[in-house]
Amino acid sequence: MNDDKVLSRFFHQEGAHTLSAYLKHEGYQGAEKALKEMTREDILGQVKAANLRGRGGAGFPAGVKWGFVPQEGDKPKYLCVNADEGEPGTFKDRYIMTFAPHLLLEGIVITCFCVGIHTAYIYIRGEYEHVARRLEDAIAEARAHGYLGENIFESGFGLEVHVHRGAGAYICGEETALLESLEGKRGNPRLKPPFPASIGLFQCPTVINNVETIANIPHIIHQGADWFCGLGLPKDGGTRLFGVSGKVKKPGVYELPVGTNLKELIFTHAGGMLEGRTLKAVIPGGMSAPILTADEIDIAMDCDALVEAGSMLGSGAVIVLDDEASMLEVLRIVTDFYSHESCGQCTPCRVGNPWIRKMVHRMAQGKGRPDDVENIGRLASNILGKTLCPLGDAAAMPILSITKKFKEELEASLAG
Amino acid sequence: MVKIKINDKELQATEGMTVFQAAQEADIPIPHFCYHPAFIPEGTCRMCLVEIEGMPKLELACSTQVREGMKISTHSDRVKEARRGVLEFLLAEHPLDCPICDQAGECKLQDYYEEYGLYENRFVETKDKHEKKIGLGKTLIHDQERCVLCRRCVRFLREITKTGEMGVFERGGHTEVNIYLGRTIDHNYSGNLAQICPVGAITDRDFRFKTRSWFLEEGKSVCQLCSRGCAISVDSHRGFSRFELPQRVYRIRARHNPHVNGDWICDIGRYGYAYLDADRCRAIKPPSGQEFGWDESIVWLKDKIRRLKDRDQTERIGVVLNSGLTNEELFLAKKIFRDDLGAGQVFFSDPPSGEGDDLLLTAERSPNRRGAEEIGWDIKPVDLEALSRNAGLLIIFGPYFESSHDRSGISSCLEAIETKVLLTPTSGVLDEMMDMVLPTVYWAEKAGSSTNIDGIVQSFQPALPPLGEGRAEWRLLSDLGRELDLNYRYYQSFSSPENIFRAMTGEIPFFEKNGE
Repeated sequence: MNDDKVLSRFFHQEGAHTLSAYLKHEGYQGAEKALKEMTREDILGQVKAANLRGRGGAGFPAGVKWGFVPQEGDKPKYLCVNADEGEPGTFKDRYIMTFAPHLLLEGIVITCFCVGIHTAYIYIRGEYEHVARRLEDAIAEARAHGYLGENIFESGFGLEVHVHRGAGAYICGEETALLESLEGKRGNPRLKPPFPASIGLFQCPTVINNVETIANIPHIIHQGADWFCGLGLPKDGGTRLFGVSGKVKKPGVYELPVGTNLKELIFTHAGGMLEGRTLKAVIPGGMSAPILTADEIDIAMDCDALVEAGSMLGSGAVIVLDDEASMLEVLRIVTDFYSHESCGQCTPCRVGNPWIRKMVHRMAQGKGRPDDVENIGRLASNILGKTLCPLGDAAAMPILSITKKFKEELEASLAG
Repeated sequence: MVKIKINDKELQATEGMTVFQAAQEADIPIPHFCYHPAFIPEGTCRMCLVEIEGMPKLELACSTQVREGMKISTHSDRVKEARRGVLEFLLAEHPLDCPICDQAGECKLQDYYEEYGLYENRFVETKDKHEKKIGLGKTLIHDQERCVLCRRCVRFLREITKTGEMGVFERGGHTEVNIYLGRTIDHNYSGNLAQICPVGAITDRDFRFKTRSWFLEEGKSVCQLCSRGCAISVDSHRGFSRFELPQRVYRIRARHNPHVNGDWICDIGRYGYAYLDADRCRAIKPPSGQEFGWDESIVWLKDKIRRLKDRDQTERIGVVLNSGLTNEELFLAKKIFRDDLGAGQVFFSDPPSGEGDDLLLTAERSPNRRGAEEIGWDIKPVDLEALSRNAGLLIIFGPYFESSHDRSGISSCLEAIETKVLLTPTSGVLDEMMDMVLPTVYWAEKAGSSTNIDGIVQSFQPALPPLGEGRAEWRLLSDLGRELDLNYRYYQSFSSPENIFRAMTGEIPFFEKNGE
């Protein structure tokens, strides 16, 4: 199994985060190759051919995204690495930044060289204080050794990387809210279009990618797009860091090829259910992904397969629920979270989520009404697809799937 | 131009235009809260969602630009369902205190609920409590429970006045619009916030609880309180049959005029409407011992002028005009007093100038000085000594003469003049010194046109009926011109300000060029 590991292959080693350890594992060789031997077009071609899909949640092909950035014009361009990692159940980026900060930095160097960027920001969730400090150390180390700063690898290409800590808002993981926050404003998502690729940070063309997405870049450059596609699926290349949590024997981060079966992930890699527990449901891609019942988990973990099954791969965070989990309680946690995290600027999300939350709390107090479950579904439908940013959908999707798939259980809680 | 279809209707739209603008041009209403033409679209209320063929989701009308061949449905079932959903959300936590809300009757929430509403309340939870009476400054009260968070107020203060007193606070269901700590909105444009608030969240202290919007009649006029000439609506109450109201005018609102004031007016123009009802001169004060209507008054005045004219003594006629008269009135005054009669002394007595700002308010507080200049008047301030010298007749227009000099100076000047006539909309201290006082009207009560500081000519119709015997000066001047019989035919045609303006465009190139 170890052979399949790419990103996490030296996570476990002592001092893995240091430059010296990283250099022992082909560290910065991808960047050297890119800057010395390749043109920008070559790199973009490789990334596109690798079918590297975004690891943050939406699964948008990274190469295509880079291609949207206009190359003409005299405005500076920016890279924002999304390290906000706010999706409940997700904890994979923290591992990359903690154990392989240089892998992220090398990915940043290649990305910036390819797109023509000289300033990159890592927007990291505020709670990751120690991780932010580790990144700062790694940046200082890389800079001291010429992997960042001016004239990297004597190529004439220069790059500065800055770490910016968020202040604890889920919404700032949404790419345009992240930009607002980075600009020092209230983290409200922007109206799109214009898309960040043309008008982003400080009104300049901007690439925004997830940590894990960027961390894949050095390997794609070093070993080629074909190798990368071979790891995963032709249309969805590479491996994924699956963060498994819940009532399994071995919760944790598992790096496995894209397309690994969910059942295998839970029962083989994560050691199966805790003693005496049975599987009830799985949230396969972070809390905003529609829930799968125990019958639905024989499924390949790739973007398209999960969409076909009515869910999504999202951030690859797998939350495993056992037979003791009350779906009303799950619903309560979901609605508590999204009511709290809605930025409040657009109507359906701002009002709909707290309304559903009030209903669920009333139900939890035993004061449910016969049409509550139906009404929750109706309200969630009025949020779905009608909001300015994806947070509305992120809230509505799990609520809709829970009220649909566990209608009977929820309605049973209304009785009496 | 691009070809689009809205609700199966083929339309031409300008490239770069939004769906909302294209629909508006075709008179297809699209409900909205946060959209306002003066601001950059924010797309947050989600009320203007429309269906565009080929797009999986509903799209925002306010920010989506038209494209060649675009097919838009603004009233499909899917769109109506979405509007109903948004309205249900907006009304869920709304206090529904319409019976005591000043916005009732002109509230977008009410209007849209009529059109798309559910007529069934599914919200059974306890409503959140918010502040209902936050003072935002001298003029405004903010009710957070009624607020739909369209942020028009925040954007107005950021984008238009650039003062930024308000902001958005908290998050999710706790989100609120509020004023920053220690700030107040006391600048000269505060009243616009109450006007652009689509609901009753920001109300005007001046208007709160005084009347109901459905009693008010909107009259369109032009503000006469500075030389900007902002387009305004004068909202007045017709009164009740059983008791008299203390005022006719309850508020002034900005009216859209892209060339002059956009969508805004200043607080001086908005709140300074008391003059329209206070201390008005309502009846003719005839010469002692007489009982005059307008006809007799004009004949009397004509006789006074003719007597001097017949003796070749028209240089003994003095006239005090003001540049608060309309273009037509200033034109007729020039025709009669300068061209026909050659009056000896013509002066202007205008309101004193004040301080202007860089948005709308001008330092010049007389509304039609530019018009007077274009007509050819030399605007000379009153010279009392010249006025009283060998004077036989003095005709004063407007109420400003009495404050142009000290009282004793004015008294001794007037004492030296044989016959004195005052035409004024207000009662004042001069009335008793006059031989005759004729009640006139303000711009809000008359038709005519004005020329603003930038040379923009705007015409207006009466927004209010005149008070008592009050009559517009253009009518008196046109009647007088005819009665004088110096050029009967010429004045005979001036039965309306439009006719007078037509003559002006023929005689003065400026008005031909800038006439509407």
